[in-house]
Amino acid sequence: MKDVFTGKLVRLSAVDPEEMSKAFTRWNRDSEYTRLLMMSAQPLSSAKAIQKWMEKEMEGVSPTDFFFTIRTLDENKLLGGLGLNVISWAARESFIAIFIGEREDWGKGYGTDAMSIVLRYAFTELNLQRVSLGVFEYNPRAIRSYEKVGFQHEGRMRKYLNHEGKRWDLFYMGILREEWLQMQNGDKT
Amino acid sequence: MRDLFRGELVRITAEEPEARAKSEVRWQRDTEFHRLADSDAAQITSERKIKEWFEKQAEQGFKPERHPFSVRTLDEDKYIGFFGLWVDLIHSVAWVGIGIGERDFWGKGYGTDMMKLCLQYAFTELCVERVSLGLHEYNPRALRSYEKCGFRLEGRTRKDILREGRRTDTLWMGILREEWLQMQNGDLI
Repeated sequence: MKDVFTGKLVRLSAVDPEEMSKAFTRWNRDSEYTRLLMMSAQPLSSAKAIQKWMEKEMEGVSPTDFFFTIRTLDENKLLGGLGLNVISWAARESFIAIFIGEREDWGKGYGTDAMSIVLRYAFTELNLQRVSLGVFEYNPRAIRSYEKVGFQHEGRMRKYLNHEGKRWDLFYMGILREEWLQMQNGDKT
Repeated sequence: MRDLFRGELVRITAEEPEARAKSEVRWQRDTEFHRLADSDAAQITSERKIKEWFEKQAEQGFKPERHPFSVRTLDEDKYIGFFGLWVDLIHSVAWVGIGIGERDFWGKGYGTDMMKLCLQYAFTELCVERVSLGLHEYNPRALRSYEKCGFRLEGRTRKDILREGRRTDTLWMGILREEWLQMQNGDLI
């Protein structure tokens, strides 16, 4: 039986707000990172402010939000994080966001590996029916990564946001439980 | 189209903590009601304490795993009882607890009507796969009512409860989504 939190290159681990807030101050200084991840104007926040915000977000045990950090298997290096939010338990639909902080860790398959771990978590642990995500048109690396783990293109919001003086679309992607199960070739946790 | 919150004899309501405490304190003092509804030791709690408890519950707000309801009669608008659904979100199954505190409304079909609304809510709104319940062997009236709603006896814990010098069994009943759907003859919300 596979370990549910371990992949080929990375593992998912618990979020420590103190460690993460320090990492966020480093990553947030890279405007390309923030442009790929979010569409709001990114203010530079202190580690203390970020930590306080995270602690408040994580307060209590919410049965609908699942946050993880992503670490390399070989050196235990903190690479980034992800959050899976169950939109509706009745519909069993969820939304995911994922990020890798340092440029030197981009394009190496870490995100793809982390995404395949969290899909396994969503379908075998939480027994969800769907996982959805949104991605900006100008992030082909992410789109390719999501396609690799089985996400399908489901729709787009045309000219949704500004980037470098142009307007770009927001893509919606999703993967169904049956599609994911089929990709596992009977090799389940 | 059917009404989600209205049956043939009763309707589902959300009562204020004051109203709930006022009735609950009377119901709690009815030993027979307590014996039928619960296996705990009977307790006398002040109206103020009960109200505080309900207020605390209200403060916690909406939780996807907990769905408490109050019940009023359609003809006199009398507050007679309650039911609640507790959902296991991961496995999409629910447990139900139900009670009529006002004795004048026992054995007249009110409970059966309440349970029908409860199952309708569980299967069409919460989209669960099964609903489970437990009852005391010495409550044949409840057993008959649950059977009418479609529950099947699935098992028993022998000599589970010690009441008035006699040990009696706890019975477990359940109804599956397919069974419930079949009973509706395509007449769905």
